[in-house]
Amino acid sequence: MAQVTINENEVDIVIGALHSDLKSFLNEWKPIFSRFHLIIVKDPDLKEELQIPGGFSADVYTKSDIERVVGSSAVLFSGYSCRYFGFLVSRKKYVVCVDDDCVPAKDTAGNMVDPVAQHIVNLKTPATPFFFNTLYDPFRKGADFVRGYPFSLRTGVDCALSCGLWLNLADLDAPTQALKPKERNTRYVDAVLTVPVRSMLPVSGINIAFNREAIGPALVPALKLAGEGKFRWETVEDIWSGMCVKVICDHLALGVKSGLPYVWRTERGNAIESLKKEWEGVKLMEEVVPFFQSVRFSQSATTAEACVLEMAKTVKEKLGKVDPMFSRAAEAMEEWVKLWKSVGSS
Amino acid sequence: MASSVLPTPLLKDELDIVIPTIRNLDFLEMWRPFFQPYHLIIIQDGDPSKKINVPEGFDYELYNRNDINRILGPKASCISFKDSACRCFGFMVSKKKYIYTIDDDCFVAKDPSGKEINALQQHIKNLLSPSTPYFFNTLYDPYAEGADFVRGYPFSLREGAPTAVSHGLWLNIPDYDAPTQLVKPMERNTRYVDAVLTIPKGTLFPMCGMNLAFDRELIGPAMYFGLMGDGQPIGRYDDMWAGWCTKVICDHLGLGVKTGLPYIWHSKASNPFVNLKKEYKGIFWQEDLIPFFQAVSLPKDCTTVQKCYIELSKQFKEKFGKVDDYFNKLGDAMVTWIEAWDELNPSAAAALPNGPAK
Repeated sequence: MAQVTINENEVDIVIGALHSDLKSFLNEWKPIFSRFHLIIVKDPDLKEELQIPGGFSADVYTKSDIERVVGSSAVLFSGYSCRYFGFLVSRKKYVVCVDDDCVPAKDTAGNMVDPVAQHIVNLKTPATPFFFNTLYDPFRKGADFVRGYPFSLRTGVDCALSCGLWLNLADLDAPTQALKPKERNTRYVDAVLTVPVRSMLPVSGINIAFNREAIGPALVPALKLAGEGKFRWETVEDIWSGMCVKVICDHLALGVKSGLPYVWRTERGNAIESLKKEWEGVKLMEEVVPFFQSVRFSQSATTAEACVLEMAKTVKEKLGKVDPMFSRAAEAMEEWVKLWKSVGSS
Repeated sequence: MASSVLPTPLLKDELDIVIPTIRNLDFLEMWRPFFQPYHLIIIQDGDPSKKINVPEGFDYELYNRNDINRILGPKASCISFKDSACRCFGFMVSKKKYIYTIDDDCFVAKDPSGKEINALQQHIKNLLSPSTPYFFNTLYDPYAEGADFVRGYPFSLREGAPTAVSHGLWLNIPDYDAPTQLVKPMERNTRYVDAVLTIPKGTLFPMCGMNLAFDRELIGPAMYFGLMGDGQPIGRYDDMWAGWCTKVICDHLGLGVKTGLPYIWHSKASNPFVNLKKEYKGIFWQEDLIPFFQAVSLPKDCTTVQKCYIELSKQFKEKFGKVDDYFNKLGDAMVTWIEAWDELNPSAAAALPNGPAK
């Protein structure tokens, strides 16, 4: 397979700052991040000034910047959802986004993992959603399509979303982590694979990258828990966003990959404390699964924006009556597309 | 929640190891520490007058072509000759709940720490723990030690589905088709991917028969390896065929298919020119066969594997019977297979002891 070149001009790294002190975080990432442009978005609810070390090419957005650009829609961008503002204002083809409590991981050989490079490789090589390859990513060096893989499907489709993983603290939900406080993810699974068409998955926002030109509008800051908090256990924004992205990618014949790269996720928060808040999200998930399994788009929905608008309508119709949270999510999705049209496109 | 850390049961009285061979069984020596407790079913392909030596100390039954003809009579026509597809005869005559099938050029592999891999034990783990076909878990098998369901994974789906198939992989010689082998003759699979994962419902995959285990009670009749080899226009698609049928039926019946660990060491690269001749028709045919399997829908009243399989054979013959007479024969063979299966496995029968060794 041809070598993939990483072109800095094509990449923005978006960081949602939920901590004010980003010095040690950014210094850990310096060897990897310093060549790229960073968009740092401060959680509007964070009171303290951001501390950002030198040596980076970074644009920083705070509450006042967000309000200046989107006015009253600023409410969409609180907490973890602040990073979506970064997606909105980016003008690059690819966006890589990592939570601010993650640092570089090491692979099994002890080498520092460059998640930016891996994500870009994932996005720049085809995905294979229509038939499962048992040797995982056939475009990786040393691998290929196996016997029995139909030839007509070997060109694959463009990959629009790359979902990375986490060593140390995996993205487990609060009940699971509370029951197993000592559990740490030590298994480095050396694979990237395409998540097949029609298959749903929980997309974690902790370590992702996407082709902004292809599906930027589909990552929606829409579903907010009433008690959404500042710990990952207390959010479902990324899970909802990811389910939307997956069905939209399936419709647009774009691919979603999962696996490498890993980041090292560090200790934060108390799972038991978060349990009280997370139950709301858990219950909501149960409602949405049958919905996403049955969602269909019209033939004329040929862009991510059009798909999001169609989805918003269906969410309102079908899920609105289940919980008002979904009606609000549908409205947020419509608002987001408006913003994308006015602010998100150059 | 993840599985407990109890030791994996041996299941030595519940599992048969089915090995097709035309050469010899020398490879069993390396597997001895892992395979010796189990009963083997050897299917001797090719010349029935040749004597295949089974290493000392193994408990086995052996069937050659004469035996297959004797046991099945006219129905023996559904069992391939001069092709490892004949292994499915072993699935049919087994009386056990689980089958592990392995090729005679597959050896014990080592994991990255240098430890020898007990492939059979891993397959048993895979079969005894649920699958998760309805929602993809990004940390792969949530029941593996140290893994779990991730945030956002619906709780109502965490019980999973019963696992019917465990599809293992191969280090060293990868299972490539002939064109890929010709282009990359030196490529070796050196990447140990430490994961087991469920292939989602609605997704097909290329099922390789080299290192495969399944629950015979759950899915056995679907594991027909088709008409290949001598007198047939195609080869090296036996396991693919079984895989398409099996996955469609598993999806319909709510059963899971896992792939990934365990690895075995595949030592022999078959001749790519010979392979090309065998695969040639398959390469074209699969372009139409696969969409058929992707789109096939089985009626609700197909509640058993056999009913599903017969229905599949009907739809298959309807669609492909006119394309090539081979497909008519294959469709008929599918029915013959089920008839033979039911004859040898009457549902009323209690668990029977192993057949006689040869």
